[in-house]
Amino acid sequence: MAGPTPPGDDGRRAPPPDATPARPFGAPRAAAVPRMETVRVTAPDLQRRAALEKSRGRLLLTAIGFMVLFGAVAIKLADATLIAPVRPKEPVVARIEALATKPAPPLVTMLPYHRASIEDRNGQPLAISLDTAEVYADPREMMDTNDAARKLKSVLPQVNEPELAHKLSTAKDFVYVARRITPREEAAVNALGIPGIYFQPSERRFYPLGRMAAQVLGGVDVDEHGVAGIEKYFDKRLMDNPAPLRLSLDVRVQAIVHDELQAAMDEFKAIGAAGIVMDVNTGELLAVVSLPDYDANDFGNAPADARFNRAATGLYEPGSTFKLQTAAMALDCGAVHIWNMFDAAEPIHFGRFTITDFEGKHRWLYLPEVLAYSSNLGAAHIADIVGAARQRAWLARMGMFQRVGVELPEAARPLFQPASRWSRLTTMTVGFGQGISITPLHLVRATAVVANGGIMIRPTLLAREPEGAPDPTSPVLTPVAAGFAPDADMPPEPKMKPPVVLDQPLMKPGTSAIIRKLMRLVVTAGYGKSAAVPGYYVGGKTGTSEKVSPHGGYEKHANVSAFVSVFPMNHPRYAVYMMLDDPKGNASTGFFSTAGMVAAPAAGRVIARIAPLLGLFPDIADKATIDASLAMPLQPAVPPGMHAALNGPVTTAETGAHGREHERRRARAAADAAGAHTRLALAGARAR
Amino acid sequence: MSEARRLIIRAPTGLPGKFLSINWLFVLLLCVLAGCGYIALYSAGLGPDKYANRQAMRFAAGLILMLGLALTDLDLIRRAAWFLYGFALFLLILVARFGHVGKGAQRWLEIGPLQVQPSELMKIALVVALAAWFSRADWDRVGKPLFLIPPILAILAPVLLILKEPNLGTAVITFVVGASVLLAAGVRLWLFGLGAIAAAAAAPIAYAHLHAYQRNRILTFLHPERDPLGTGYNILQSRIALGSGGLWGEGFMHGTQGILAYLPERQTDFIFTMWAEQFGFIGGAALLLLLLTVVAATFAIAFTCRNQFGRLLALGIAVNFSLYVFVNIAMVMGAIPVGGVPLPLISHGGSALLTVMFGFGLLMSVHVHRHDPMDASFP
Repeated sequence: MAGPTPPGDDGRRAPPPDATPARPFGAPRAAAVPRMETVRVTAPDLQRRAALEKSRGRLLLTAIGFMVLFGAVAIKLADATLIAPVRPKEPVVARIEALATKPAPPLVTMLPYHRASIEDRNGQPLAISLDTAEVYADPREMMDTNDAARKLKSVLPQVNEPELAHKLSTAKDFVYVARRITPREEAAVNALGIPGIYFQPSERRFYPLGRMAAQVLGGVDVDEHGVAGIEKYFDKRLMDNPAPLRLSLDVRVQAIVHDELQAAMDEFKAIGAAGIVMDVNTGELLAVVSLPDYDANDFGNAPADARFNRAATGLYEPGSTFKLQTAAMALDCGAVHIWNMFDAAEPIHFGRFTITDFEGKHRWLYLPEVLAYSSNLGAAHIADIVGAARQRAWLARMGMFQRVGVELPEAARPLFQPASRWSRLTTMTVGFGQGISITPLHLVRATAVVANGGIMIRPTLLAREPEGAPDPTSPVLTPVAAGFAPDADMPPEPKMKPPVVLDQPLMKPGTSAIIRKLMRLVVTAGYGKSAAVPGYYVGGKTGTSEKVSPHGGYEKHANVSAFVSVFPMNHPRYAVYMMLDDPKGNASTGFFSTAGMVAAPAAGRVIARIAPLLGLFPDIADKATIDASLAMPLQPAVPPGMHAALNGPVTTAETGAHGREHERRRARAAADAAGAHTRLALAGARAR
Repeated sequence: MSEARRLIIRAPTGLPGKFLSINWLFVLLLCVLAGCGYIALYSAGLGPDKYANRQAMRFAAGLILMLGLALTDLDLIRRAAWFLYGFALFLLILVARFGHVGKGAQRWLEIGPLQVQPSELMKIALVVALAAWFSRADWDRVGKPLFLIPPILAILAPVLLILKEPNLGTAVITFVVGASVLLAAGVRLWLFGLGAIAAAAAAPIAYAHLHAYQRNRILTFLHPERDPLGTGYNILQSRIALGSGGLWGEGFMHGTQGILAYLPERQTDFIFTMWAEQFGFIGGAALLLLLLTVVAATFAIAFTCRNQFGRLLALGIAVNFSLYVFVNIAMVMGAIPVGGVPLPLISHGGSALLTVMFGFGLLMSVHVHRHDPMDASFP
């Protein structure tokens, strides 16, 4: 005890006999008085003494209590330093080392890593995740909620001050103040020093190119989970694997298609547009554009019309572009020959329906003419010769009856008649692209297949790995190079049947060669002339269809004008599809809004701009040779011994009564080989 | 008071007399402790400039404050008791409304360049007020429940305000200090028993209302390995430092944990670990003994005081200091949950040091005036 020398504890104790006279400490010696003095002990004195005695006991109790506590601390100290010292465990040391190199231990569990970025085929980032923070509050710790809300509003303009003040005054223990704030905002909020405000690290999906391929990329919700497009389709892949997802898109091509489509859309006051560029050998999509579009960073506020991907989700009647299919199936199965003629002179009346030609030639047409002048009547006759069974089989092989299999959750399922209701009329109308609704991707794929030698491909948004890719300089199309290899990246899709993928060509190579010539003919001599690009040997097919009204039937004054093309026709490499929804003709087109007027020129401009980017150079030197190899007369010479109207191996068994009718018609046509008008066509049908 | 009586009990008169009757041994003890603090802060700051010199200056200022208070008449202190209490309470309310926020809590008040922590002042003011209240009461009166209502309110008001800051550790210490004064004043023991039962019943409810960080601390205390890089980090580092100290320590300026800065808050809360790593069990025990001597001295002053006010006041200050020491050292050794309580006279920090010296000044005044019967206090 370091306390003072204990004095007598009160005045009662008698001084020792030999005591010197007491004096107060420091008092002058004169103040000393003898110790003997009588002190009267009064009742209050006794009371005071009693209280002191009592408190002394309690005091002792307290002191002893502390001594015990400190004794325990001393033992603990011995324990911690001598008896059981804690040595840093190896993992702890390692973690401490790691900690020393890291700035600070995270307050909240960090996200394992960022959602993977998405980039185009050349590595250009399309979607990346940035570090952001989320601000939240624990209202129980808040002092002045109104003041806090006002302060927060001053640095976070996006918050709603009254609403926030209300939320902060609730009895919850977790309230979001703002999500996805920038590091600068985080620092500003932190500097406010409001108690009860906390941060949580998060990330924000950022689309550096804004509108570029917005519908394809889709978007994510506040929790960074994909809700549309690629982001949704590859959600798990993007969360699990931090490596960037490389798409087949090429932003340069995408930008050019977007640019040209927007220009055409503005010029013809269309309500929408779609554009596709696809590698006809691999199915890789280099551009998928849908207009109107939106800034991908503002996915939440984009109107539904803008979010709608016309290229993958939009269902349209393909119209005349489908005549390529009709020609291909008819030629491939041998039902017709290139020099056969078809009656385009007379409208076909079928029950209450009438099939007519737009700006018809009003004569019998050779098959090349049917395509070049886009004759509905000719196509209907060809389809009728092929018949429903072979037509449906062909369309099924072309993937027309199922989703296109592109990596988009929005990819639409085509609309078509079931087999039981696939009537003869249906066969004829589908022959010129009406009575079936498919997405532009379906059409592009089918057109690519008939042009590439019959190799089935699946449109894909994923870039192919270089080793499997065909040599871009090789003009030879091998089935392996063109075939679709299942991608390891692809998550399984329980609901979707895999698209038809065949190593074997779907058609005879000769048929494809004829189709290429026919497509080329459309551009050199038909309605697609405005798509011509010197040196690139563009081939294609126009298609103007009336829009299906939501109330049934067709909208008479609303068209969908499309142009599907492949180039170069001598060694097909890329398919380009341009479509305008409800374009209005203007003075420059003579107030027509047909595909040849509005879509084909846009396709031509796109090809002229993208072909050099894709490493294709205009081949002017060999023009004569190439032209010759692609030459297709509008009215092919009938081979010796054959007859234009008689030489189709049409079997009556397949075409039924109509087949016999056709035989009769061909007999008439033979009599009028120059294609003179005849009034006998379809007499039987009319009679029914 | 009669002249004779004054003479018998040898109460010093006049400033020189009072000055001489100051317990200089105690003052010397404080200086030795402050010297230990200087050494510890020297190593924590890797030199004298960062912490040690500044703290030495503050100690000098605190010493002057203490000596000045030692000469202040005890009766004057009693008269000022409720004013002091009211002032501290006012500051606590002020801090609740306008306080400076640091590390998620609102505990500090900034007055110009000065930062004060009103909860520290409150503990002293509460002791003074309670001592003043009970110094007027005899044994019978203390037994009357009605008489106990004002002091209990006087304890609860600051405790709730401190709890709201939030500062659980200081709130608990304040409560215990107040209760100890009640105990010494003679409040019946059964009342404490009742209070203990009520507290035990309320504990689960209180736990549910704790802040996440407070709950974390308790959980971490129970299982420090639970989160070796987060909340348990401090304790684990502290334990490692103590363990590496061994019997004789690693030597001055040689502790790996402290010198290489693995030990967090090594200049404030974990200064004892810093010390023990360098000077081992022997050094730690010596410092503990030194602190214990101070604790004993404070209790001795309470014992030897012959008036109720002084005794209760001394006791309250003794308990306050002892709790500080105990909580801090027990905390760094992982014996109780981490609470952010500094080690008095050793840790770096002006506010805590000044309040400790303020308390010791009052204690010295009690010692100087221990013979003053303060008769006027009796009814």
